[in-house]
Amino acid sequence: MIDKQEIMDIALLSKLHIDENEIDSLTEEMMNIIKFADTINEYDGEVEEFDNINNLSNVFRNDEVVESYSQSEILKNVDGGENGYFPVKKKV
Amino acid sequence: MKEYELVSGLETHVELSTKTKIFCSCSTEFGGEPNTHCCPICIGLPGTMPRLNKQVVNYAIKAGLATNCTINNIAKMDRKNYCYPDLSKAYQVSQYDKPLCSNGYIQLDSGKKIRILRIHIEEDAGKLVHERGDTFVDYNRGGVPLIEIVTEPDIRSIDEAIEYVEKLQLIMKSIGVSDCKMQEGSLRCDVNVSVKPKDVDTLGTRTEIKNMNSFTFMRQAMEYEFDRQVDLIESGEEVIQETRRFNTGTGETEGMRSKEDAHDYRYFREPDLVTIHTTDEEIEEIRATLPELPDSKKARYIADFGINETDAKILVKYRKVSEFFDAVAEKVNKPKTVSNFIISTIYRTLSTDDEREKFDIKVSSESMTELVKLIEDGKINNNLAKDTLEKMLQNGGKPTDYIDESQMGGVDEGELRAICEKVVLANPKAVEDIKGGKGAAIGALIGGVMKETKGKADAKAAQKIIREIIG
Repeated sequence: MIDKQEIMDIALLSKLHIDENEIDSLTEEMMNIIKFADTINEYDGEVEEFDNINNLSNVFRNDEVVESYSQSEILKNVDGGENGYFPVKKKV
Repeated sequence: MKEYELVSGLETHVELSTKTKIFCSCSTEFGGEPNTHCCPICIGLPGTMPRLNKQVVNYAIKAGLATNCTINNIAKMDRKNYCYPDLSKAYQVSQYDKPLCSNGYIQLDSGKKIRILRIHIEEDAGKLVHERGDTFVDYNRGGVPLIEIVTEPDIRSIDEAIEYVEKLQLIMKSIGVSDCKMQEGSLRCDVNVSVKPKDVDTLGTRTEIKNMNSFTFMRQAMEYEFDRQVDLIESGEEVIQETRRFNTGTGETEGMRSKEDAHDYRYFREPDLVTIHTTDEEIEEIRATLPELPDSKKARYIADFGINETDAKILVKYRKVSEFFDAVAEKVNKPKTVSNFIISTIYRTLSTDDEREKFDIKVSSESMTELVKLIEDGKINNNLAKDTLEKMLQNGGKPTDYIDESQMGGVDEGELRAICEKVVLANPKAVEDIKGGKGAAIGALIGGVMKETKGKADAKAAQKIIREIIG
C-alpha cells in the first residue's frame, strides 16, 4: 500500500513538482505499478538464492595508477569551469 | 536536578591509503590542483562503469580482523541516494545490508569493550569550497576509498569516546591501511550523542554531530551537546533527532538539515558492481599479514622489558618508532636503555607529532645497537653514549666514528676504587669541604677521577665510591 504522504515524499526527494490535484491519480498509478510487481510473490515454488543474472562475482581492478584526465577536459561540460573548479548553486 | 549520563556511538570514516580510488585508477594523492585527479568515472558521467579496487577489499578485511570483526564471505555494494553537489552522481556507492565486516570490538584500557557493529567500504565525496557567496567543487577527493566503522552505543563518557578513537587510529596506522591524519581529513568522526538519567536503562533521543576532525573539537562538541540536551529535558522540552554541525567559532552545535528533507536514502543494490565473495582461506591469508597490534606490543614491552606504562605507550604510538625499538631491543640485553635513549635523547630532536611519525633520523638501528652494546660491555659509560648519540643524530655514522679507542675499555670496579682512593688522598681540602657540609665539592673529586681515567669512568659509580671512602 502507498499513501499520499509517500507520493509527496518521493516527489520531494526526486525534486519533482506535483500539483495538489495530481496527487490522487498519481497515488493510484503508483499503487498499480507496485501491485503489478507484487505478482512475482504469487509464485510459491522453490527458489534458489539469486545473486545476479551473469552469476559473476569478484570483478576487481589492481591498485595501479593510470593518468587522470586533464583539468580542462574534466571541466569541458561546464564551459571550462571557474579557476579549475565546478561552479554550483549555493547550497548551504 | 537528576544525574544524567552521556550515551554515545561513533561512526568513524577512515580514508584508506591505496594508491588509486575505489572505482577508477585515478590517484588518491592529497591536495593537487583542483579536478586534476579525475576521470569520467569519478566525476560521475553517465554511462561510465565502476570497477572495484582489490586493495580496498583487502585493507577493509585487514581493518576488520584487527578490530576482532567477523569477515562476511558475501558482501555487496549499494547506492545511497542523496542530492548534494559534492556527490556528482546524486548517490554514494556504499554498503547497506551486506557489509564486509561485522561484530567486532575495541577494548579500552579499563577492560571495557566498545562493540563494533560493522565496517563497510564506500567512496568519499568531493570537496566544496565556498567563496564570496559562491560554491565550487573539487572532485579530487571524490571516489577516494573510505571504510566506515560503526560502533554500538556503548560509550558512556567523553573520555571513553576519545580513547576509542585514539585506539582505532593507532590500530589503523599500525596495520598500514591509513595514515589517519585528522588534520587532512583522513580520519573523521560522526558522533551520536544522547543523554539519559543515570538510573534509567532506556536510551534517549540522539543527535548526530557530523565530521569531527580533531580531538579538541570533538570534546568541546560533546560537552556542549550533553549540556544542551540535559537543559532541554530539564526544562520539559524534547530532544529532536537531527544532524548537527559543530561551529568551531562559537563552540556550539547547530541543527543542519531542514525539516522538509525527508530522510530516506532509498538504498538499492549497485547494479554495476558484482558480489564480493571472500573465502575463509583468503581471510586467513590476510590475517597472516597482520603485524603485532599496538596494545599487545605495549603489554609485551611492560612485561618482558620492564618498561613503564607511560614509556611503553609513547613507543607504540608511532609505528616507525616501535619498529626501530624492536629492531634494537631484540639484539641487546637491556631494551630499557634503548627506550630511554629514544624518549629522552632522540625525541628531543623530533618535537612535533609529524616528525615522530616520520621518524626520519640519521641513526640506523644497527648503529644504535652497537652503541647500546658498548655500554653493556662496559666499554663506555652512559654519558659518553648520550654525547655520541647526539653527534650521530646530527651527522649520522656509527659510534666508533666519534669514540676514540682511548676512551673505550671502561674501568672495572676494583680499578675505579683504587683511582678514587688515590684522588681522595690527593685532595684533602675538598674532602674537608665535603665533611664540612659543602656537598658540591665532590665535583672536584669526580673531576679528578675522570682526568685519571681519561673520561672512561662512570661518574655515578665514582661518586658512590667516593662517598663510601669519605664515609
